[in-house]
Amino acid sequence: MRNAVTLIILSIFLVGSVASWDEVHNKSWDDQLGVASVLRELGDSVVISKLPDFTVKGASAEKGKSIIEMGFAEKPGGGKSGKQSSHFVCTSCHNTSQEDPDLTVNDPLARLKYTADKGMPFLQATTLYGAVNRETYYNGDYYLKYGELVEPARNDIRGAIQLCATECAQGRALDDWEMESILLYLWDIDLKLVDLNLNEEEKEMVVDHLNNSNDHQEAIDLIKSRYLLKSDATFVYPPDDRKQGYDHAGNAENGKLIYENSCLHCHYKQKYSFFHLDSRKLSFKHLRAKAGSYSRQSIYQVIRWGVPTKSGKSSYMPQYTREKLTDEMVEDLRAYIEQQAQ
Amino acid sequence: MAVAVWGQETVFQTFKDTRVINSHSVETLKAGRMDIRISHRFGDIAGTAGGWQTFYGLENASDIMIGAEYGFTDNLMMGINRTKGAGPLKQNVHGFLKFRLITQEYEGSQPFSLAFLALGSGSTMPKSEIEGVLNFFEKSAHRFSYHLQVIMARQFSERFSFQISGGWTYRNIVPSDDQNDLVSVGAATRFQLTKSIGIIVDANFPISELRTTENGYYPALGVGFEWETGGGHVFQLNVTNATGIAETDFIPYTQTNWADGQYRLGFTISRLFTL
Repeated sequence: MRNAVTLIILSIFLVGSVASWDEVHNKSWDDQLGVASVLRELGDSVVISKLPDFTVKGASAEKGKSIIEMGFAEKPGGGKSGKQSSHFVCTSCHNTSQEDPDLTVNDPLARLKYTADKGMPFLQATTLYGAVNRETYYNGDYYLKYGELVEPARNDIRGAIQLCATECAQGRALDDWEMESILLYLWDIDLKLVDLNLNEEEKEMVVDHLNNSNDHQEAIDLIKSRYLLKSDATFVYPPDDRKQGYDHAGNAENGKLIYENSCLHCHYKQKYSFFHLDSRKLSFKHLRAKAGSYSRQSIYQVIRWGVPTKSGKSSYMPQYTREKLTDEMVEDLRAYIEQQAQ
Repeated sequence: MAVAVWGQETVFQTFKDTRVINSHSVETLKAGRMDIRISHRFGDIAGTAGGWQTFYGLENASDIMIGAEYGFTDNLMMGINRTKGAGPLKQNVHGFLKFRLITQEYEGSQPFSLAFLALGSGSTMPKSEIEGVLNFFEKSAHRFSYHLQVIMARQFSERFSFQISGGWTYRNIVPSDDQNDLVSVGAATRFQLTKSIGIIVDANFPISELRTTENGYYPALGVGFEWETGGGHVFQLNVTNATGIAETDFIPYTQTNWADGQYRLGFTISRLFTL
């Protein structure tokens, strides 16, 4: 209560709206206030570089959401834009909600259970929720995959979005209005203050900084300590002996979640793939038979190296990095496959 | 987001392909998918026209089809293809629409899938100077024939599917001792050995007093196996007595008999693309 009294209760114009940023004069704590907006108010130079370009006509967060979820949106001049990619939409590989219970650590197993509890798929790529809060993109081993293409993307969110559109989604480059629309939507789904789990004292400190013109680095550092500033990526080899697998005992319960929320997300009824999988015996028997093989139908092969594009087809399957699926979790999946193939 | 596979969930792939062997299956292409298909029927393996002299038919081509098909929705597809033609009309161009009205549910209220096929064929072969032959083409309309079909199928288990069909074929020009329209029935089945390999069988029976073995006509019977190699590629190898590939060809004009060694090797390569 004491803390509540000490908080300065002033008007909020920022809540979830990029357009109202410049109208913020008086600040109080609001759980739903966007973290990026607060950092901008605090003068964080990194987040300022990600501000949408409001001079681009015809862009809107609503259109950005449509492009991300469906691959198209209404063009500025009217009519529907062509699909950005024939193969994927952003949500083929990215969630758009929070997917980690603790934003300060990378824990794929915790993510698996958290997303299952929330009814979300469990995907190879990092959620777009909080994308504007991250500071670098295509981190770690993505340089091995995309080479110099990573350079304009690593420190520039627009570069990252464009690389994702053309290389990851194997689609066309985004027009300016599409790019800015996506960025507007990403600002809508940035982290919220409530996600930072600050205590009352910390909240008070942030609000204090928001209302004073002092050096705000302390508040910026505090906020940035409560989530990961990048999504790291470590490419992993399949096990040396695929019949043996990784040296871990599998947990079929976890494997079930991986199979249903990850494998079937793309493969069930060939949603984003030409290869159909379901929860019937023949699918499991096939996966079990191929698991130990040195072919592209082995789960070890496709999980760790993905499936490359083939002649005449630009669709492919991206690999799972260690940050998205640990070796233990791959064995969990195998244990479930073995169990169901009996 | 556990994916429900049972209950109201619709059955996926009662057959692997949009064709069984000679017949269309109840399947349609998914929305946005394009299928580039090449089908081939060789010559007789045995009998008077087969054997070593034709390397068991491999040196002959009874019919060849090259075409492209596209799924507008998950339940509506169209296709256009060209066949060499095995009946009296050659150099045929075919267009078809197939619409799936009902899709079987695993444990829901729909116990089977139902589709309709409408196919039109036009012969582009040169007009003959000889009056009385079919390709004299007194009228341009004589180049055309049509086929309508209703197809009903059920997947009984993940290994076994069965399909029946009824068709009506109309040819604008027929020999003087024949009838323009022809009713037929068909049946087809699939037995899936593994996830990627299945055995398929189909049969089409023309229902007409003129289409009898005494008159030299036979049902079109085929057996084959299909191999899904993954990545949108299905390869089918089959043996059938039918010489033609299109419905307007093999239903009215199959005059080759299994018992006389007049069966042939055939294959289909189907390559799927997402547009």
